Amino acid sequence: MRSVDIIGVGMTPFGKHEKTPLVEMGTRAAIEAIKDAGIKSSQINIGYFANMQAGNLTKEFTVGQAVMWGAGVNKVPVFNIENACTSGASATTLAWMSIASGQYDIAIVVGAEKLNVPFVPLLNPSMRDINVLEGNVVINGFAQRAVRHMHSFGTTKEQLAMVDVKNRRHASMNPLAMFYKKPVTLEEVLNTTMMADPLTKLSCCPNADGAAALVLCASELSSQYTTKPVHIKASVLVSGVFDEWPDMETFEEDQRASRIAYEKAGLGPEDVSVAECHDAFTICEVMHTENLGFCPIGEGGRFVESGATSLGGKIPMNVSGGLLGKGHPLGATACAQIVEGVRQLRGECGDRQVEGAKVFLAECMGAELRGDAKTCTVNILQK
Amino acid sequence: MSSELKPMLDGIFEVGPPPRLLGAHCPVCDQKFFPKPVVCPHCLGEVQGIDLSSEGTVYSYSILRIPNMMYKFPQPYASGYVDLDGDNIRVYGLFDPEKVSEIEIGKRVTLQVGQIGIGLDGKECLRYYFTPQDGGGK
Repeated sequence: MRSVDIIGVGMTPFGKHEKTPLVEMGTRAAIEAIKDAGIKSSQINIGYFANMQAGNLTKEFTVGQAVMWGAGVNKVPVFNIENACTSGASATTLAWMSIASGQYDIAIVVGAEKLNVPFVPLLNPSMRDINVLEGNVVINGFAQRAVRHMHSFGTTKEQLAMVDVKNRRHASMNPLAMFYKKPVTLEEVLNTTMMADPLTKLSCCPNADGAAALVLCASELSSQYTTKPVHIKASVLVSGVFDEWPDMETFEEDQRASRIAYEKAGLGPEDVSVAECHDAFTICEVMHTENLGFCPIGEGGRFVESGATSLGGKIPMNVSGGLLGKGHPLGATACAQIVEGVRQLRGECGDRQVEGAKVFLAECMGAELRGDAKTCTVNILQK
Repeated sequence: MSSELKPMLDGIFEVGPPPRLLGAHCPVCDQKFFPKPVVCPHCLGEVQGIDLSSEGTVYSYSILRIPNMMYKFPQPYASGYVDLDGDNIRVYGLFDPEKVSEIEIGKRVTLQVGQIGIGLDGKECLRYYFTPQDGGGK
């Protein structure tokens, strides 16, 4: 297998962009990534487009080819990828495989989503799913985990709220975040509308529109285009177990995906300088911090309270603002995590730069089936 | 009136009395399932339809405070996972909408069937739910 680098990244601001079509958002991110990579569009050999809800919300399909052509990419293979919140990372894994296998030299990944449409129903993976028919919308699954985590490990609702306070503080330093310069207090998080106990409105990431893009290149060629390549040390995608005994206190998928990724990278959690995770709800980040190996199982609440996951702490998490602070344009989210990683490792993050960042980890998780995550991704990047 | 209502899905539960969840058992893997799968996903062998236990213990729960208009659920409503007695299986379901405040981890519950919300056809329908046992809780 060949070594693969990321040589270019691009990202639109995340937030409400009612007047910008999905295709245009994707194209704008792609153009920025291509220019950042120092290549011509015609040098791209293959493209992957990640999106989750276009078929549902804006009634579009096979969007990727239109996005790519807007950025001058035509004729080459283009795949449209849907894997819930991990769509962007799943597409990245495919792009990595395409180059690592020796089949292609340069690939582009674009993730884009438009969620600000007149009516967005509560998110659910299938109207016909038995659990959805019994009322299990997405937030319920995470409230059930939060209730269980508090019961078994003594995690408090204040500790959960601290995740949002931290990520909003991080987002306030990110000009591309939906909540740029809009920090919140612990009291505000605790006192907003109760959605599903103990998750208040501010414990849930907001819907957002946006796009993010990456250009990947075989490492042996990347020096032709850039002086600051970022190496992909591991790009892993796993699916859930789905058996008859779901465990809501841990994310087994996180443990399995990160174990594979650490092994491939020849690194461990102690080597990671900065990480992004799927903080769709505050409880998610607490559990990801544990299950990725940054603190013991059950300690995630006390770990965030200690400041270890804040900028300047032992392992800064979601320095971009995460989903809670940046907003969550589903198909773009996991690409945007990797964009943040590349920019952190290049030292381009200004006020929110993690000093001396050398190794970055991105985790993402998507959809639920029988009490397990359907899909989970871990990408490890190194300077 | 409830006898005219249809279950939210066919083949999931028997209305009763007593109500029953329709599960399955793989004799090779000695594993029970809910709902009944096409085959045992572990060995791809045939499974046998069985009635599952109608009693169990709450493993975890959520209380949704905001409206869920998709199937016109009551507001609020509770749902979560129940470990069924003797079946070695953890099933997801609704909890009694009249007793939301009584639901807690470890609570003993009993299966019920009744009219809750609407179905895929937009008409009122029957759903299964677990109701807390009086006095028998933790």
